[in-house]
Amino acid sequence: MGEHFYEILLALGVLSPMVSFWILVFAGPKLGKPTAGWTAVVLGMGVPLALATWVLISWWWGEDSVSRAALTENAFRFHWADIGSVPITLGVKLDSLTVAMYFMVTFVAFWIFVFSIGYMSGHSDEVDGQSKYSRFFAYLSLFAFSMLGLVISSNLLFLFIFWELVGLCSYLLIGFYFDKAYASAAAIKAFVTNRVGDFGFLIGLMLVFYQLGTLDLDQAAAVFAEQAATGSGIFSSDFSLFGWSLATVMGVGLFCGAMGKSAQFPLHVWLPDAMAGPTPVSALIHAATMVAAGVYLVARVFRLMTPDALMFIALIGCLTLTLMALVAIVQVDIKKCLAYSTLSQLGYMIFGLGCGAWIAALFHLMTHAFFKAMLFLCSGQVIEGCHHEQDMRKMGGLRKKMPVTCWTFFVGVLAISGAGIAGTTIGLGGFFSKDEILAVAYVRAFEWDDAGKHEVHDGDAAHALGSTHPVTGVRLVSDPVQNAHGGFARAEARGAANAHGEDTQHVGHDDSARASIFGTIPALPKWMFYLALFTAYVTPFYMMRCWWMTFMGKPRDENVYRHAHESKLMYVPLAVLAVGTLLASYFLFRPLIADAATAATAAPLVLALDGHEHTAAIGAAHRFLTFGVGGAFIIAFLAAIAIYRRGLETPERIRRALAPLHLVLVHKYFFDEVYDVIWVKGCLLLAKVARFIDTWIVDSIFDMLAAATERIAAFSGLILDKHGVDGVVNGVARSSTDFAGFIRRWQTGRIRHYVIFATGVATVVFLWIWLAGASNADAAVVSAGM
Amino acid sequence: MATISLNHYLIVGAVLFCTGLFTMMTKRNAIGILIGVELVLNSVNVNLIAFDRYLGPNRMDGQLMALFVIVLAAAEAALAVGICINLYKNVATVDVDRATSLRG
Repeated sequence: MGEHFYEILLALGVLSPMVSFWILVFAGPKLGKPTAGWTAVVLGMGVPLALATWVLISWWWGEDSVSRAALTENAFRFHWADIGSVPITLGVKLDSLTVAMYFMVTFVAFWIFVFSIGYMSGHSDEVDGQSKYSRFFAYLSLFAFSMLGLVISSNLLFLFIFWELVGLCSYLLIGFYFDKAYASAAAIKAFVTNRVGDFGFLIGLMLVFYQLGTLDLDQAAAVFAEQAATGSGIFSSDFSLFGWSLATVMGVGLFCGAMGKSAQFPLHVWLPDAMAGPTPVSALIHAATMVAAGVYLVARVFRLMTPDALMFIALIGCLTLTLMALVAIVQVDIKKCLAYSTLSQLGYMIFGLGCGAWIAALFHLMTHAFFKAMLFLCSGQVIEGCHHEQDMRKMGGLRKKMPVTCWTFFVGVLAISGAGIAGTTIGLGGFFSKDEILAVAYVRAFEWDDAGKHEVHDGDAAHALGSTHPVTGVRLVSDPVQNAHGGFARAEARGAANAHGEDTQHVGHDDSARASIFGTIPALPKWMFYLALFTAYVTPFYMMRCWWMTFMGKPRDENVYRHAHESKLMYVPLAVLAVGTLLASYFLFRPLIADAATAATAAPLVLALDGHEHTAAIGAAHRFLTFGVGGAFIIAFLAAIAIYRRGLETPERIRRALAPLHLVLVHKYFFDEVYDVIWVKGCLLLAKVARFIDTWIVDSIFDMLAAATERIAAFSGLILDKHGVDGVVNGVARSSTDFAGFIRRWQTGRIRHYVIFATGVATVVFLWIWLAGASNADAAVVSAGM
Repeated sequence: MATISLNHYLIVGAVLFCTGLFTMMTKRNAIGILIGVELVLNSVNVNLIAFDRYLGPNRMDGQLMALFVIVLAAAEAALAVGICINLYKNVATVDVDRATSLRG
């Protein structure tokens, strides 16, 4: 294998959808239906998927951890340009996380592309009376290009460019049916809300650029670590905002971008509305991949975080996951219900990152991408089968009409609910990932002081267990002292140490530094953990409610039920994603992410915790937690079934009993209303004020100026110019003409006239001289006489 | 017998001058005009010689000027006759009133 083998494959996989995009843009309408769609499937996602599979296999099974670390350190970097003294490098961020994300995106997207062909053949592809079939797939290809580019970006600048590109694709696809007012409004809402987040992201980027002097992810982390160790650069500023240091502001700023893209509270409002787009788009962009980009970003800049920034991240994640899960309970639109579930799960990921559960959060991202994509595709199947009916109150009993969809959906429900047998490794994706996030949160909330103490005093235990926490079994991912040195020397040292099979020298170093980091990281407030735990019970409830209302019970609307059917073309993607949900995530993605964690979480100020080490050292409390969460899905399922078993009468009674609460939830805590009053109305009011100023003050000034100018112009034009300047010029001309005419009369051309004239003049001159001479002579006589 | 004084010469010159001037004013024939011009020039010559003889007898200024005038008159006559011949060739007349092609 040649040098930069992986980078070339990954870059080719990014460029292939771009080729597909240009083909579809220029030749799409000629290719027609469904050739254009298959072009996108093959070029837009088939090629990247093949490359991703190749990369995944050679990366994971062809390399060992030492060679992987070396490849990460020596990944391709091209010095592209300089901005001032800051070099801008173009390159591929190559580590196990990139490979895993890349594979996940291509795999999920490929099957959604396939599904899209079936979906678009059943749906109208006409916008404004023209077929936009090829345009839809062109947008999807452009999205694939942007998303894959985002995943492999090694530089925050390029990451930001691709970040904006996926935002653009999201906008274009939400507003695909742009002749429908609600769709274009939703598209604008998504775009504007994302701009708010991106504003923070830009501030963060500028701080990185200005304070760290590099935009390369690895170099920025190295510089950050060095500055943290020496107290220089960003740490030498005494700037403070809400009690945050400049470094915290940088971290929070970068997180703001993630808040917009991953739809975190309070910028979550766009995601439910984004369901106005076609269902495959909801599945691909607004559930599986793009919304996870925010989580991916936070994971990538984890090394630039401070404890305060992470606490803010955890707070936002915690609020999002709880509040949105509650809203999901009262949704009656099947896609909206899934959208709020997505918000809640994204909240889990962000909360996990805020707690330091780096691996768990990304693991949850992967598992969630699979099962949420599948759930959305199922909902697309349902909506398609029910002739665009999205109201679950009109469904019911659909299991007989669409059995495959019904049971794939059920697999998704089990996965998102974290179904599994507690205490074993038998379970679906969400069982591991959500449980892991909660475990880390538990350690951060309840055992944090102990964890710090043990790390300080119990050096032998740390040696004995590697770097596994002696009480909770939570393994510490990061090696702070090594990281403080930062940069490229680290992996070589690590690689050499691993090669000798011993890491003792570094472990001995670690204890004191790790202890000092422990001291600076505050424990997580307990209520955050309780909220996350509570939501673990809410999630299975609303998912089971959604499934039961749609597929179980008796049909509630004859018309919908009679027409319900399944589309054969959409089976395959559903089945494949179901298998992926069942199998692939735990055995493939979890180890991949864990492999990337060591280098990617080597932060100088914060610690990432690996909540996966279920060793004998797990305390009784941790065991209780495992069983508590493990049983959650059964309890919640039973509750949901009990309530919705007999149709809608029982829920209706409960609704009436809890009317005020229901009202708040149905109106999504009145966020849209409040935003409407504050931002939209405020904006309109501001516009009105501006318009008033414009109309009455600015305009009148300009009107006055215009009138004055007009007067001056009239005066200057009519009076000065016409009568003055023109008059002078014309007068000169006329008098010259007149004078010339007068002179002309004397120029007869007759010689005798000239002779007479000359004689006459000579006579006059002679007479004048003569007479004047006479008077002068008299005067001379007079003066002489005196 | 009275002697011939300067005034006598000047009177002859004036008569010649007036005759020439009158000829120039009244003749329409180009040759006639030319003759008038010659009369005027020769009246000047008479005056020059007379002034030279009576006012500066030892100086040759007047005679010199007269010689110049004669030469000038010869040149002028040659030129003028040439013009007259060409005029005749073009318009078949030497009547200056009919030579109007240069009039604006």
